[in-house]
Amino acid sequence: MDVYSLTWIIPLLPLIGLLLAAAFGKKTPEGGGYFVVASIAATCVLSLTIAYQYLTTANGVPVEASMTWIDLGGGKTLDVGYYIDGLTALMLIVVSILCTLIVIYSIGYMHEEGERKRRYYVEIALFVTGMLGLVIASNYLMMFIFWEIMGLCSYLLIGFWYYKPSAARAAKKAFLVTRIGDILFMIGIIGLFGAFGTLNFRELFDPAQIALVDPNLFAFSLLCLFGGAIGKSAQFPLHDWLPDAMEGPTTVSALIHAATMVKAGVYLVARSMPMMVHTPDVLIVVAAVGGFTALFAATQALNNPNIKRVLAYSTISQLGLMFLALGCGGYIIATAGADEHLLELGNTGYMAGIFHLMNHAFFKALLFLSAGAVIHAVHTEDMRRMGGLSKKLKITSFVMLIGCLAIAGIPPFSGFWSKDLVLESAITAAGVNPWFWLLYIGGVIVAFMTAFYMFRLWFMTFKGPEGEAARHAHEAPAVMWVPLAILAVAATITGLFLMFPGTGLPGVIYTVSPEGHAIAGETLGWGWIEKFFTAWPTYVSLAMAVLGIGLAYAIYYKKSIKVDNVASGSLKGVYNLLLNRYYFPQMYDGFGTKVIYGLALVIDWLDRKVIDGVVNGLSFVAVRSGQTLRRIQTGMVQTYATVVIAALTVILLLMYLLGGL
Amino acid sequence: MIPQEYFLTLAAILFVIGAFGVLTRKNAIVVLMSIELMLNAANINFVTFAAYNHDLNGQVFALFSIAIAAAEVAVGLAILLNLQKQSDTINLADLKLLRW
Repeated sequence: MDVYSLTWIIPLLPLIGLLLAAAFGKKTPEGGGYFVVASIAATCVLSLTIAYQYLTTANGVPVEASMTWIDLGGGKTLDVGYYIDGLTALMLIVVSILCTLIVIYSIGYMHEEGERKRRYYVEIALFVTGMLGLVIASNYLMMFIFWEIMGLCSYLLIGFWYYKPSAARAAKKAFLVTRIGDILFMIGIIGLFGAFGTLNFRELFDPAQIALVDPNLFAFSLLCLFGGAIGKSAQFPLHDWLPDAMEGPTTVSALIHAATMVKAGVYLVARSMPMMVHTPDVLIVVAAVGGFTALFAATQALNNPNIKRVLAYSTISQLGLMFLALGCGGYIIATAGADEHLLELGNTGYMAGIFHLMNHAFFKALLFLSAGAVIHAVHTEDMRRMGGLSKKLKITSFVMLIGCLAIAGIPPFSGFWSKDLVLESAITAAGVNPWFWLLYIGGVIVAFMTAFYMFRLWFMTFKGPEGEAARHAHEAPAVMWVPLAILAVAATITGLFLMFPGTGLPGVIYTVSPEGHAIAGETLGWGWIEKFFTAWPTYVSLAMAVLGIGLAYAIYYKKSIKVDNVASGSLKGVYNLLLNRYYFPQMYDGFGTKVIYGLALVIDWLDRKVIDGVVNGLSFVAVRSGQTLRRIQTGMVQTYATVVIAALTVILLLMYLLGGL
Repeated sequence: MIPQEYFLTLAAILFVIGAFGVLTRKNAIVVLMSIELMLNAANINFVTFAAYNHDLNGQVFALFSIAIAAAEVAVGLAILLNLQKQSDTINLADLKLLRW
């Protein structure tokens, strides 16, 4: 039996779990959570089956099936369907495994929430539907629909504790800020439809079609698509909603705001890459925004005292690295022409972005869930009140250490492999365009900062004297630490997927063109290790990581450098600037109260004075003329008769005089 | 033979007298009588043209017209009677309910 024909069931299964949880959640344990866990586990099995089938048999040829949803006439249709290629298969694996693990973890984490658990599980199930639907979508319209479902779930789940004003505010902010990106995404879709007359990936990715369309409209549409990705993936300047989104439950932060939904923007750019390689300028924008955001967000993670916010800034920063890799890789492909060596390097850069997406999904979910276990134990998110937890939370502190090593880029943990490939793609792109050196240097600084703030977090939480909140801490239940252990294994080994047998990871996820697949098919296998450890950039980033860890060790464990001196001394200004998030919330507010409110006042004036004025004026004329004209109706029959006869006389007279009679 | 114009002129004078009565008299009964004058002016025309054109259709039409006039007077007088009962007047100047 053709297993692909079951693809449409993937997003449907969580929906069934949703209905069961909604219907029976009040009477079943954990608010119907077990229904949702079962349905997501089932969809995970199905996703893995389909991904396995694709990866072992398809040889890089996308599998696609669509049917007409709306017929617009003139041969133009809007379709629904699925589109499976290497990227889809990889996303299916990552997303379904992570969703399953995090929902299982939720059973333990949300145990004390009481009545509201049902709401939580229903919203999570809807979210999983959205994410899986986005991944398998065969056209941009479907993608957009599922994209919006995720946005809704993000809003609902950030505001899960809606009775807290800060949570309600954060939910609103997340919804409104991502909305800007969503509007750009929609403009991009409309632009593409205008240019191509279709939204199906299969037709849009055809180079022969791309050669025919208006290049300006094409580039503009792609830029707008990237705008959507900026909003969803919290890139500069629409980044500020993500730290606030940490007001939601930690499982939500792990699932939506670290592992899956924020990756949707990266996925969108990766998905659009076959079109973007025809517009190098757009790719420069992608790389620059990504590189800048990576650095910009990393600085804000340096001194934040809130454990989840540090992770949130770290997420933004790592997402920036993914965009950097996609931008660099795509740029190299765009400028390579027929040079096979450059094409292969560009493909490696593109692959690095997606590879980093996968690795980051695993280790950041691990970090968030570990942080969740810590918060569950100490009931605070303030790291200054923690400390010395490693004695009481042995498993958590160990798995979190693995997560920190992975994100800091220490071999053989997963982050090392993908982060180095990202930086390598920047160096390769710099060979084409020297400006990319800036992005490489930024990336190296990010590597240093990442290692520093992650180990600052780890030392502050788990080492040192016992903090006031740590006294009654206890290890999390098995339903929580088992997923953590699985994720820790994943964070250790997913980097080794690079040495996949057969076509290798580059061959698996190359989607830009069939020729590219053939080029990428030359696998290095275990040769990757040799390639890594004979190249100088590897040692630069390794040194940076070790330096960062050492600095964190010196400051937060040995206390040989007094951090208070920095906070109150010469660097006080910088310290406060970072703590205040570069005053971005104030800028958003200022923008909102000055520009948008001013605009609203103008529109209000227009509405009240001009539009209402026209309407009122029209009605005034009608009423006044009616009042005047009704005087004619005297009610005197003889007056009417006089008018009739007089008129008739006049008409007859005229006809007689003018010769009509 | 008396020329046709004499009869037509007589009819026209009668018609104008009737129209004037309809437009100026305030008493509804007088207005009704004026309408009779106008109808009879039309009857004279019918008979005149019938006689001068040797066509009996005109005379038949005059007979019809007289019969209808009788019926109309019956209906009109009944309306006036009801009007008198209801509003105590048949003065047309006072009967102006259908207005602004």
